[in-house]
Amino acid sequence: MRFLLRRLIHAIFLLFGVSILTFLFTSLAPGDYFGEMRLNPHIAPETVTALRAQYQLNRPLPVRYWRWVKSVVHGDLGFSFSYNSPVGPLIWVRARNTLLLTVTATLLTWGLALPLGVWSAERRGRLPDTLISWAMAGLLVVPDLLIALGLLLFAARSGWFPTGGLASVGFESLSPLDKLRDLALHMILPVVVLVLTALPLVVRHVRAAMSGVLDAPFLRAARGHGIRRYRLLYRYALPAAANPLISLFGFSIGALLSSSLLVEVIMSWPGMGPLLVEAILARDLYVVIGGVLLSTLFLVAGNFGADLLLYWADPRIRTEPDAK
Amino acid sequence: MQRTRMPSLIQVEHLVKRYSGRRVPGSREVMSALNDVSFSLAPGRTLALVGESGSGKSTLALCLAGLERPTSGRIWFGGRDIVALDEKELRTVRPQIQLVFQDPVSSLNPRFTALEILREPLIVQQSGGRRETTERALAMLESVGLSREMAGRGPGEFSGGQRQRLAIARALSLAPKLVILDEALSALDCSVQAQIANLLLDLQSSFALTYLFITHDLAMAAHLGDEIAVMDRGRVVEQGVPEKIFHTPEQEATRRLVAAIPGSSVTPRLPRAL
Amino acid sequence: MIRRRKLAKWLAVLVALHGVIACAGFVAPYDPVAQDRKHPYAPPSKLHFLDTQGRVHIRPFLYPLRMREGLFNQYEEDTARTIPLKFFVDGSRYKLLGLVPCRLHLFGVDDARVYLLGSDGYGRDQLARILHGGQVSLLAGWLGAGITLFLGFGIGAMAGYYGGWRDEILMRFAELFLALPWLYLLFGLRAFLPLSVSPLQSFLLIVVVSGTLGWARPARLVRSVVLSAKERDFVRAARGFGASDQYLLRRHIFPETSSLLMTQATILVPQYVLAEMTLSFLGLGVPEPVASWGNLLGNLQQYSVLMSYWWMYLPALVIVPFFLCYLGLASALQEWANFSKIEG
Repeated sequence: MRFLLRRLIHAIFLLFGVSILTFLFTSLAPGDYFGEMRLNPHIAPETVTALRAQYQLNRPLPVRYWRWVKSVVHGDLGFSFSYNSPVGPLIWVRARNTLLLTVTATLLTWGLALPLGVWSAERRGRLPDTLISWAMAGLLVVPDLLIALGLLLFAARSGWFPTGGLASVGFESLSPLDKLRDLALHMILPVVVLVLTALPLVVRHVRAAMSGVLDAPFLRAARGHGIRRYRLLYRYALPAAANPLISLFGFSIGALLSSSLLVEVIMSWPGMGPLLVEAILARDLYVVIGGVLLSTLFLVAGNFGADLLLYWADPRIRTEPDAK
Repeated sequence: MQRTRMPSLIQVEHLVKRYSGRRVPGSREVMSALNDVSFSLAPGRTLALVGESGSGKSTLALCLAGLERPTSGRIWFGGRDIVALDEKELRTVRPQIQLVFQDPVSSLNPRFTALEILREPLIVQQSGGRRETTERALAMLESVGLSREMAGRGPGEFSGGQRQRLAIARALSLAPKLVILDEALSALDCSVQAQIANLLLDLQSSFALTYLFITHDLAMAAHLGDEIAVMDRGRVVEQGVPEKIFHTPEQEATRRLVAAIPGSSVTPRLPRAL
Repeated sequence: MIRRRKLAKWLAVLVALHGVIACAGFVAPYDPVAQDRKHPYAPPSKLHFLDTQGRVHIRPFLYPLRMREGLFNQYEEDTARTIPLKFFVDGSRYKLLGLVPCRLHLFGVDDARVYLLGSDGYGRDQLARILHGGQVSLLAGWLGAGITLFLGFGIGAMAGYYGGWRDEILMRFAELFLALPWLYLLFGLRAFLPLSVSPLQSFLLIVVVSGTLGWARPARLVRSVVLSAKERDFVRAARGFGASDQYLLRRHIFPETSSLLMTQATILVPQYVLAEMTLSFLGLGVPEPVASWGNLLGNLQQYSVLMSYWWMYLPALVIVPFFLCYLGLASALQEWANFSKIEG
């Protein structure tokens, strides 16, 4: 229990640290939302100054930070200049879409990687292993940019999949089942891109971890007891190999989040990615900070989930060291 | 038996070393490796320090060599208390107390050649130019029974016994007063152990060295040591000449060690040299 | 030794590929920013050896392109004239390797434009843009990786060697950086750098910023290598004869990290190339008219380009052999490191 509590406090500190870091970095950079305005001859410089004052951009950094923290507590996450509304509601919708994509992709990736990796490790050196290793190497070499563009072209050419967006026209009028079908159809390509990007690394690590365990004496003993292959692999070997994989799980969430940014933009999926890019081009300060922070939140939450998994899976963590 | 009162080369007084255990996450366990250790060593003699694993022997070796800082206590060497010295002063003292480690594989850098290994102490202490240091290194090589042609080889190309010879040669290159042998023979095969033991005895008389010989093997301790000190759980529990330790052990720990020697029920007085 | 040969093989291919990119000015027939408004989106030139009269030419030739009547951006060959391909021709000025002014090009034609890989919307030769773009993207990769490795190794070595509170603080800091989804942070930072800067400034900015963000992972790896190296008996022994910290770090500890350094370099460079490509693709990286692999692919964001002009995909394919070589090199290095470790 103490372990989990410590990890939780750690996570909270991490979030604070990131928010401060981001704020610091963004304040170091010259220029802001109204900087572009100043170049416009039609707008008087006094107007710009007044606008900046209205949005509190002329206050010192700690003050701005404090005000922002207060607005986070309210759920506002600051104010967007472009959309002229609080950042919070704007971003939650997008975040939900991004989560939909990333969570599905994570589950699929691990759902595929575990059996592939285990099988590879079991048949180490033989044909299935070689084939899988080559396939994974091939995927690793092709950048996600190319995969995404390729699949987009495929969608456009074949017409089997929609080339973007979350829902088709007339979505509201569909029956619930059809709505689900429509959503799934839109989700398939982006998810496939994400899975293909993340798969090679995870498979490789699963294989490595399992290979290490399969040589262990306790497993040979179990095999000698006549335990069936499936049970042997998944109930005996995999839990022993779980530790490094659980840390990898946390890492994979971060990697998928980063990839999703690009994929969303290319495939026009209305998630945080396109919002962020737009905000950058418009120099919309609080949207950018909100986006960065939210994605960090997901990452930290994911890692905490991994810690929970570790706690549940590894009895050594649970044993209190000073309870002697 | 009358013991002549000689000034001691090194005198350890109430040495304590505690580690705060950070191995277990979140706990602040404190482990005492050394719990009030006191002994003294006369020059030119060999003190064999015997104890089971975990008795604190290696920690003691590191503290004496100045590579670990004791928590409290005093170590008198050359008229000064080593524990009280700062890093810079310590660096001048360290060359006089040299350590030979147990594992000949890890104590020699595999990327160096034998010549580089032997020259290193001289280079670090800046005692001479290239030719001088090379010549001295080669001379050291020969004095431990290896030939000059081996100078260009890497440690990987030597056998275990040869590596220890190299380690000993390196330890001696700065003409130390005290050589601490931390289980230096334990990793070697039996026959090789005998050879290296004899080499050590020869070197001791040639170079007037003082040895602190640390081991868990009481029989070996008797072979090499003028005196034996028994350590148990961070303390010196018994000290005396080998005959006394064997025939009339006083402490429980000593008795255990004696009993562990194969054939110890028939323990003759072991001859000093073969 | 088989491993060494494998290593040498990958290295050789990698050097050759980089060599071609380095000589971009020579290999490409035209300047990458030279426009030809009369030939927008021209498909790759077809090289023929047999002409319409059935004659065989030893020297390959091409037919000049002519726009089809009434149709926009569709070309047909004017078979009336044959234009031979010449090698080692004199052409536009460039600086070989950025230093030596030169006018010699590998190949070229008179009276027409040869677009081996097609042209873009402004009629700029894609071959030239891909080659020169490669210089930009690869340089970004190397510089970024270099900065990261410099920072990461420095900080990691310090944390590992000195330990104590320095280690604690540095590692907490590293955790902070590791927790960030790097692309998001990179974007965040890019947001607040002025949008209208010169290509060179933009390039340097991206490289420095992304390089600085990535130090945490190599730092952790170096730290663990240094921690274990520090405890080795030969380091203790060296301390035992009075060696200073600097000597130990230089003579004993740094060599232990060298194999890690090389493996990390081969892994990081492609990552940073990809980072530059991603940024430039989205319009946040190297700006026009300078070519980089990223902004070349950025053209594909237009639906018409995506559908109709297949040669605009080529920059993405060019990257694949590079990544393959880096990956191959990385695994060969890994094997070699493991092998020499066993040898002791």
